[in-house]
Amino acid sequence: MRDPSNRIRDIAIVGGGTAGWMAAAILARRLIPGGVGVRVIESPEIGTIGVGEATIPPIRLFNQALGIDEDEFLRKTRGSIKLGIEFRGWQGPGHRYFHPFGAYGANPEQVSIHQEWRRLRELGDETSLEEFSLNSVAARLGRIPAASASDDPLSPVFGYAFHFDASLYAEYLRGYSQARGVVRMERKIVKVDLRGEDGFIRALHLDDGQQVEADLFIDCSGFRGLLIEQALKTGYEDWTHWLPCDRAAAVPCESAGPLTPFTRSTARSAGWQWHIPLQHRIGNGYVYSSRFISDDEAAAMLLANLDGKPMAEPRFLRFSTGRRKKFWNKNCVALGLASGFLEPLESTSIHLIQKGLTHLLNFFPDRSCAPVVAAEFNRLAINEYERIRDFIILHYKANAYGDAPLWNDCRNMAVPEELSYKIRQFTGSGRVVKYGGDLFAATSWIAVLLGQDVWPERYDRLVDQRDVSALRDHSQQLRAFIGQAAGSAPTHEEYLARRCGYAHG
Amino acid sequence: MASCGSDAAAKDKNPSGSISGLTAEHVRSIAIVGGGPEAWLAAATLARLLKSSFCDVCVIDSPKRAPERLSETALPSFHRLNGLLGIDECDLIQKTRGTFRLGAQFSDWGRIGDRYFHTFGPLGAKLDAVPFQHYWFKLRQAGDDNGIERYSTATVAAKMRRFARPTSDRHSVLSFYSYGYHFHAGLLTAYLREYAQAHGARRIGRNVVDVSLRGADGFVDGLRLDDGSQLAADLYIDCSGIESTLARHVLKDAYRDNRHWLPCDRAVSILCKDATDAGPCAASTALPCGWRWQTPLQGCVDAGYAYSSAHLGDDEAASQLLAELPGAALGEPRFLRFLPGRPAKFWEKNCLVLPSSALEPLESTGLHLAQTGIARLLTLFPVSRYSPNDIEEYNRLTRMEYDRIRDFQLLHFKATERAASPFWEQCRDMAIPDTLREKIELYSQCGRIAMFEEEHFLEDSWLALFIGQNCLPQDYDPLADVLGIDEVNSALLRMRSMIRDCVETMPTHAQFIEAHCAATPSQAYA
Repeated sequence: MRDPSNRIRDIAIVGGGTAGWMAAAILARRLIPGGVGVRVIESPEIGTIGVGEATIPPIRLFNQALGIDEDEFLRKTRGSIKLGIEFRGWQGPGHRYFHPFGAYGANPEQVSIHQEWRRLRELGDETSLEEFSLNSVAARLGRIPAASASDDPLSPVFGYAFHFDASLYAEYLRGYSQARGVVRMERKIVKVDLRGEDGFIRALHLDDGQQVEADLFIDCSGFRGLLIEQALKTGYEDWTHWLPCDRAAAVPCESAGPLTPFTRSTARSAGWQWHIPLQHRIGNGYVYSSRFISDDEAAAMLLANLDGKPMAEPRFLRFSTGRRKKFWNKNCVALGLASGFLEPLESTSIHLIQKGLTHLLNFFPDRSCAPVVAAEFNRLAINEYERIRDFIILHYKANAYGDAPLWNDCRNMAVPEELSYKIRQFTGSGRVVKYGGDLFAATSWIAVLLGQDVWPERYDRLVDQRDVSALRDHSQQLRAFIGQAAGSAPTHEEYLARRCGYAHG
Repeated sequence: MASCGSDAAAKDKNPSGSISGLTAEHVRSIAIVGGGPEAWLAAATLARLLKSSFCDVCVIDSPKRAPERLSETALPSFHRLNGLLGIDECDLIQKTRGTFRLGAQFSDWGRIGDRYFHTFGPLGAKLDAVPFQHYWFKLRQAGDDNGIERYSTATVAAKMRRFARPTSDRHSVLSFYSYGYHFHAGLLTAYLREYAQAHGARRIGRNVVDVSLRGADGFVDGLRLDDGSQLAADLYIDCSGIESTLARHVLKDAYRDNRHWLPCDRAVSILCKDATDAGPCAASTALPCGWRWQTPLQGCVDAGYAYSSAHLGDDEAASQLLAELPGAALGEPRFLRFLPGRPAKFWEKNCLVLPSSALEPLESTGLHLAQTGIARLLTLFPVSRYSPNDIEEYNRLTRMEYDRIRDFQLLHFKATERAASPFWEQCRDMAIPDTLREKIELYSQCGRIAMFEEEHFLEDSWLALFIGQNCLPQDYDPLADVLGIDEVNSALLRMRSMIRDCVETMPTHAQFIEAHCAATPSQAYA
């Protein structure tokens, strides 16, 4: 039975970036009322300009769990609305497709709408599948529909996420955390002290001679993994053979043109470029493989492809895609880049931090950090991480960029078994296999698979039971409904003005 | 050779004539072998969702079948079937001498004298995003002796023999449960048969005397029936249970026998008069060589004893059963055989197997598995007459589903302190699958349930079982300490009294049935 002296009383969070302050905020909310002490040790601040961070819809749940008002959040982080991601050039020059954050068609039916669409396509109907997605149509029009709870059977499933300035978000969460009792220490860590008997982390030595002891350490120190790797030697699994990009150059630029309610990802000869619109600027970056392009060439390529004037010199990042062998090792839980790196192609970085925190709270340990509990955390978190990895690999594997060495290699690479099974199943029947731990639902997979020309050889035979005229009517009604809902919605600028007082320019 | 497909297709063709896929090479005919409830459930579902011009459905309803169960139990998932088929619940209950099922009472499993309930609905409600059980563990450690059952609306109602349908008001504890059904098996079969036939499924009242396989690839080529006729279909569904009429040819010996984990392989059962009004709840009681069930029907009870043939002879089992009947016997005891386990593949070539009636009946998943098996066939309806991709995915999902249910059943036998019987000693000491071992280890450490893919039974079912069989964790969730003990005490007191007060407003199960769905007196027992 329970030993009260074994309760966790002190938690040290190492690193004060987005991951560190997200962790601090949720722990402040959930644990400080129970008497647990939470400290964040962050290096004295180096002034950085946030390049913008893109997210996926579950971020809204995290803000809700903190009790943060969405309008205030948008104002404080200079955020904008994200209806999905536009992919440009992945299938060659001029090609585009959209990954919407809402389902195709309306309420679930016996047979998915994309199967009906596939059938009509065979009969010569050229309508794009995007016409069946409220998110896609609204994104193209630059408008934000209301997230309705309509009972209309045609009412489409709609979702949204945000773009925001990640440093402003971290700053906002820092204020939130400190107001709730989190102690912030602006110090460098010079040494990590391990316990002799079990190798747990005992204390952190700071540059002013102080020691910080804690029962549980959360490593948010970024890619180097100060605790999880440098101290605990957890080990790293490298995925560069699947995801070859290993550098990024990032630069913000001035806004230009209408505020697009979506992230854009444009394929380039040695990688891809992101475009993240915020209220006050645009975040840009080029993710590339150093095997195929030099840093200087990459920076030049990036600067040549901005909407507005650059607002700083490009910053360079280096990484190896992969993951720590364990996310939770002894009394240390790694979050964010400390747990691994996946390129931000599908905007999953913040989500992975959030998911790690959810699991940590679901499996909150005592001071013994029982291996069986850590093992369950790792089983769930690693599985989810790998399913996201597979989704990102799909973009590379299915590319038709054209003749460039990076893209040629990717088309020919062997992919993980779970992914190749999924592709094979989709090619066979247009159905999307669902695995436990899949973050991205069928809609997302369909968008990318079809968007990148992975074409199902056959469609669901049950569609053949329906009259073609009934299929056409259904298709027409859905499109009309979506066209009306999207067309009558406010523009992105109007929407933000109403929610958070955004004023253009 | 008579075809099971094309005649019917031509005859019933949609008058508009615009069925679009007639030229496509898809499965145009399905033959179901076996005439029990799972066969007719499959036929009813397929007939409802496949136009007969698109795909013909026939059932070879063999008069000579292995004996079947006297009652059938539906889990809450049956509501989906009702919705899909447009079945009126009251009509169904009325015509099958049915009763409602809030769950089952388990006696003598962990220790002789123990009693617990596994019902359909949550145990308590989360407080501050921390799952309920941790607060219950916390209070228990502090000496509180309120049973976990007091926090389950369904269990409180079952114990008081009350029943009403849950409300749709998500704030009321009267929405915090679901229910299944108990049916007279023969009447359920007749009900589903009538439905299936009304929707175009054809019944062929013949026995299969021979199964011919294609030499080249081992596919089922056709069936020879006892009137000398031949029957062929594109896809065959084997619902013959223990007989394994088709599967034993196509799947050969590829059956994963699980008797080392689920030792009961025989049962004897009998219908008897209901002297007690058992309420909306079945009973499962552990016995020295197996376990006994009592399933309430309107006016009668199905009483049965599932046992291990390695530990007990048939005659002895029957006499033990007859010695403790709840009421006067209404016939002769019926002997059943099962094959606890699963096929290595559920679908091979052009033969799919729904082994429901061959499964261990503990926790009554047979009908549910037939239902999910058919739903999955429709979801993965083969895109061509033979589609290895669709078959592979069907098998992948179904294997996981069966193995998770196996773990759940297995835990009933494993988590015991019963001794003094070789049967129970063997159960207690048996090696268990890794998935179950992980579940037990995690729960024992911290009171949380590890969930895997395709679990039918969710956390609350596992908790009811663990707690009911005396397994308590070493510790509860530390986050449950954020609330002080007084706050927890008063929150749990509120839950208990709210549940009790609400249940007291429900009619008794007998009153509910009388008012809504009493069986018509002419309805026969068998």
